Amino acid sequence: MIVPLAHVLVLAVILFCLGLICTLVWRSNVIMMLIGIEIMLNAAMLVFVGGACHWGTADGQVFALMIMAMTSAEVSLALALVVYLHRRRNTVDTDEFRELQDQ
Amino acid sequence: MKLYLELIILLPLLGGISNALLGGRLFSRRSSEFVACAVIWGSCAAALTAAYSYRSPEVVEIATWLSDFDFKAPLTLYLDPLSLSLCLMITFVCGLIHLYAVGYMRDDHCYVRFFALLNLFVAAMLTLVLAENLPLLYLGWEGVGFCSYALIGFWYSDPKNATAGRKAFIVTRIGDIGLGIAIVWMFELFGTESITRLNQMGNLLPVGIVTALGLLMLLAAMGKSAQVPLMVWLPDAMAGPTPVSAQIHAATMVTAGVYLLMRMFPLIGSSTTVSAAIAITGALTAFYGATCAVAQRDLKRILAFSTISQIGYMMLGVGSGAITAATFHLLVHAFFKALLFLGAGCVITTLHHEQDIFRMGGLRHKLPGTYWPFLAGALCLAGLPLTGGFFSKDGILSAVWRTGGMLYGGLYLVGLMTAFITAVYTMRMLLVVFGGPSTPLSHQAVDGADLTENKDKRMVSGVGPLPRIMEWPLIPLALLGLGGGLLNLPEYLGGGLLHSFLAPLTGHEPTLPHATELLLQGSAAIVALAGTATAWLRYGGQRRSLRLSEAQQPARGLQAFLREGWRVDQLYDLLFVRPYVRLATLLWQRVDEGCIDDNLDRTSTQLGRFGNMLGGLGQGRVSLSLTGMAIAAALMIAWLAWMTA
Amino acid sequence: MNTSLLLTSLVFLPLAGGFLLLFMGGRAQTAKITALAIALLEAALACSTWFCQGAIPSAGAPAGFFLYEDFPWIEQLGIRYILGMDGISLLLVILATVVTVIAMLVSWRSITEKITLHYLLLLAMESGIIGVFLSLDLFLFYLFWELMLIPMFFLIGIWGHGRNIYSAVKFFLYTLVGSLLMLLAIIALYLIHGAQSGMYSFSLAALLGTHFSPATGLWLYAAFLLAFAVKFPIVPLHTWLPDAHTDAPTAGSVILAGLLLKTGAYGLIRFGYPLFPEAARTLTPLLIGLAVTGIIYASWIAFAQKDMKRLVAYSSVGHMGFVALGIAVWTPVALSGALLQMLNHGLTTTALFALVGMLDERAHTRQIEDYGGLWGKIPLFSVFFVLFAMASAGLPGLNNFVGEFLVLTGSFKAAHLATILAFIGVILPLVYTVRLIQELIFQKERRTLPLSDLTLREMSVLAFLALCDIYIGMHPAPLLDILKQPVALLTGGVP
Repeated sequence: MIVPLAHVLVLAVILFCLGLICTLVWRSNVIMMLIGIEIMLNAAMLVFVGGACHWGTADGQVFALMIMAMTSAEVSLALALVVYLHRRRNTVDTDEFRELQDQ
Repeated sequence: MKLYLELIILLPLLGGISNALLGGRLFSRRSSEFVACAVIWGSCAAALTAAYSYRSPEVVEIATWLSDFDFKAPLTLYLDPLSLSLCLMITFVCGLIHLYAVGYMRDDHCYVRFFALLNLFVAAMLTLVLAENLPLLYLGWEGVGFCSYALIGFWYSDPKNATAGRKAFIVTRIGDIGLGIAIVWMFELFGTESITRLNQMGNLLPVGIVTALGLLMLLAAMGKSAQVPLMVWLPDAMAGPTPVSAQIHAATMVTAGVYLLMRMFPLIGSSTTVSAAIAITGALTAFYGATCAVAQRDLKRILAFSTISQIGYMMLGVGSGAITAATFHLLVHAFFKALLFLGAGCVITTLHHEQDIFRMGGLRHKLPGTYWPFLAGALCLAGLPLTGGFFSKDGILSAVWRTGGMLYGGLYLVGLMTAFITAVYTMRMLLVVFGGPSTPLSHQAVDGADLTENKDKRMVSGVGPLPRIMEWPLIPLALLGLGGGLLNLPEYLGGGLLHSFLAPLTGHEPTLPHATELLLQGSAAIVALAGTATAWLRYGGQRRSLRLSEAQQPARGLQAFLREGWRVDQLYDLLFVRPYVRLATLLWQRVDEGCIDDNLDRTSTQLGRFGNMLGGLGQGRVSLSLTGMAIAAALMIAWLAWMTA
Repeated sequence: MNTSLLLTSLVFLPLAGGFLLLFMGGRAQTAKITALAIALLEAALACSTWFCQGAIPSAGAPAGFFLYEDFPWIEQLGIRYILGMDGISLLLVILATVVTVIAMLVSWRSITEKITLHYLLLLAMESGIIGVFLSLDLFLFYLFWELMLIPMFFLIGIWGHGRNIYSAVKFFLYTLVGSLLMLLAIIALYLIHGAQSGMYSFSLAALLGTHFSPATGLWLYAAFLLAFAVKFPIVPLHTWLPDAHTDAPTAGSVILAGLLLKTGAYGLIRFGYPLFPEAARTLTPLLIGLAVTGIIYASWIAFAQKDMKRLVAYSSVGHMGFVALGIAVWTPVALSGALLQMLNHGLTTTALFALVGMLDERAHTRQIEDYGGLWGKIPLFSVFFVLFAMASAGLPGLNNFVGEFLVLTGSFKAAHLATILAFIGVILPLVYTVRLIQELIFQKERRTLPLSDLTLREMSVLAFLALCDIYIGMHPAPLLDILKQPVALLTGGVP
């Protein structure tokens, strides 16, 4: 192992925070939020891969593959929703969607 | 004996209750009146029988009343010379007053309420007198207070009357604080409420506590017996019908305070401080009452202030340790004061409820049947020699003299001075009311318009001659007042009946040498005569009309000050009544609603606002939910990190 | 006589009767009469327990309880269904049934809408109150404690006048805050006791011997005290009461004053003091101070009131101050005085609220300044009014005097200064009472109001209460005898 685990973890944390900030701040666009979520998932995947390398087991890599599969499914579904929402409201700003509010 | 004692109290009580329940519906007016009078005379007969079969002090337990763990206050009656003599006096005098009331109230349609309350009044007073334990005495004590309240305000539609009743009730009740505290304190100290047993235990206690107890009881007596500084209710109590005034002033109510002190004297008398306090209160009150009486122009108010003054004498007697003399004066005073009040009632009724003495006159000829008994009563009150009032007052003064010392010497002088003033105002009243030519009321100038308000519409104008039943009771009272001296003759005339009767109670009261006694009586006689002469010089013969024209002017200076009772009423109003009322509103609006409640309301409003704020978070905004989730996750991770570190 | 389920039927008869009423929704008159019949039956049942005093209780009953029922209920949590009746409960249960009957009678005509619901709620409340007076399991107690709260809320909210919603919510929140803290304390008590003895139970008898560190005891007691003090009410937690009384319908006021206030005092006597004796002793000075403050403060404020009902409400606070004083000093005489005073207050204040309600029903105003000269117009009413006002002012010979006097006698030993102050507090009720009498009964009529004298129904209610007042005032011995044994057991005195 050339790269120490600590470095991988730091990189993952930075990636995760970037994703989180993207999700929280860029709320006027659902698509940007989805991208943020993807980045966070990638950060998690990075930790899995790093861990697998560190302990020399394949479990982490299997999980990374699982996550990839799940992400692609999720993104396709989410994008479909976004298209649907956009068609309904003509906007992708999340704050416009408040159907859950108790009124 | 048990039966007699029960009957003494039960008869008036039953009379009152049956009149209250059945009067006006089942009873005709006659039978109501008959029942009211009959029960009192029945009670009087029972008292006489009890006196006849009386051998030695007796305790009779009738029923249980309050009994809880070690606290016991049964309905127990106690008959001893003191209570017996008071019972006889009360039933007899009240019997006469009831008869008189039948005449007095003949045009009033509220007679049922009147007679029921009058009977209850007597029952309460008799309970007070016969009670063997303090809670029972308190029952009578408060019962008397309530009945007086209802009777003083009997003509309730005039706010003035109702206020007078209210004042009497509240002021006397202020004194009752003292009695109440004394009762519970004595129970704590002795574990009993029985008067007979308490009286045996006085010497078991340190003087300080006895003094405190005595002062508490003095406070109670001040309220009930209208002593300085709680005397303000009595002059106003004139608002009631005259028989009520007579009953309050002569036989019941006001003597209760004196009676309490006499009853408990074996206990509290061992403290010289208490005795001195009682004596000083008495002397001060006697002086106060007499000075106020001099300046009054309302016939009933003169008598009211004279009552305050005379009760002051009794207190002075108690304070000097002369229970016999005080009892003696109490009895004789009851006779002649009842007489004077009833006589005044006759005068007032004849004059269509005119009470201003300066608008009366010449009644000597018009009302001879009232005049002669009234004269007898006035002589007694003034303390002219050989009347009952003379002997009883002298008994007290010589007891004060006998006690000796600087303090009592001074009190003796005050007493003597008061006797002088008493003679002056009594004779002034007599001369102004009955002397002079008869004046038709209608031609009088309208001065002192407030006094004419008492003209009551209930009394039909043009009252003819007085009903006989109103003048008739005056005669026995006059005889008793004049001859009252025979009850307790001075030592040099062979000793007193009452003295020997009360001896088992009071122990051996020391007596003065005959020469000193005679000297004291001589000086008292001279003082009374001097007072009479002064009054004659001012109001006798032709000078009367001069005073009458003077009286047209409004009172000024000292006269106004005295007429308004030293302005004590205004003082109390300023010091107590107004602050009380103001503070009540203040406490309510500022403290209760403005502070406690308002703060709570505000707290709840704030809580509500906070809730709304929290509710704002759940408005379904995706971004907010996400932020919340992120923060929560961060916190959880931080916590986990902190826990593992 | 088989008394095995007497207490259960006593508790649930009104509730069952209430369900019966549900089936006659439309026929208001029938519902009214049925409700009254049930209440009367309940009263008869309650009075019949008077004769069970000599009964031998079932095994396991604590000393002093002559009727006792104990069944397992939720065994996993150690919750049992325990009802028990001793002298204290007996008197209070009888009071509860009587006051309920009176509440029904005084609102006979004045309730015109949702009549069935009104009577149903009254019956439900009766069940709750009787349950409170009888339950000996803290969980069960809490259940009934909350049960009686809800009907009252609706009574004020639906049939009240003025700011009735505000008052109802205020009442509800006040009591709920107190009782939730009590629930916490109950659970804490349950856990502490369970940890100590290994036996988890809510039963009062089991919990009595629990030991605490002083601080824990104090906190738990404070939570109980708060719940009870709100109901009492002890100054400064009283401000819900004037509002609730003023805006409640007559029946609501009657039950509120006659019964609900008593549950606070009862809880303190039955649970507060026995469970936490040390803590109670620590807080005694506080309670005495608040009680005396309440006596003087409330009576003083009552003087300034312009609304009759508010005046009576404040007087109620003052009178309950005596009860608080009697409980606080916890001596045998004072405690039995306090219990008797609860009863007396229940009778007298009930009567006063009923009287005020009768005036309100006729003239539709509760402002004192609108009335005057009632003695000339409605003498019968006035006689009763003066009688009950005097009873409330503590005139000897009438019932309130007995209670107050015993409280003061008993408390003098323990608290000199407080008792002396309380004596001053004795005359303040007289001041506002005679003012009220003068303004209402005496003087001249100030406004022509459509007043008519008492009907037979009203008169029989008042006459009954008056007889009770005079009887207790003149011969309290039977009642004091009933109270003697339980009070002695509670205070450790010798009966």
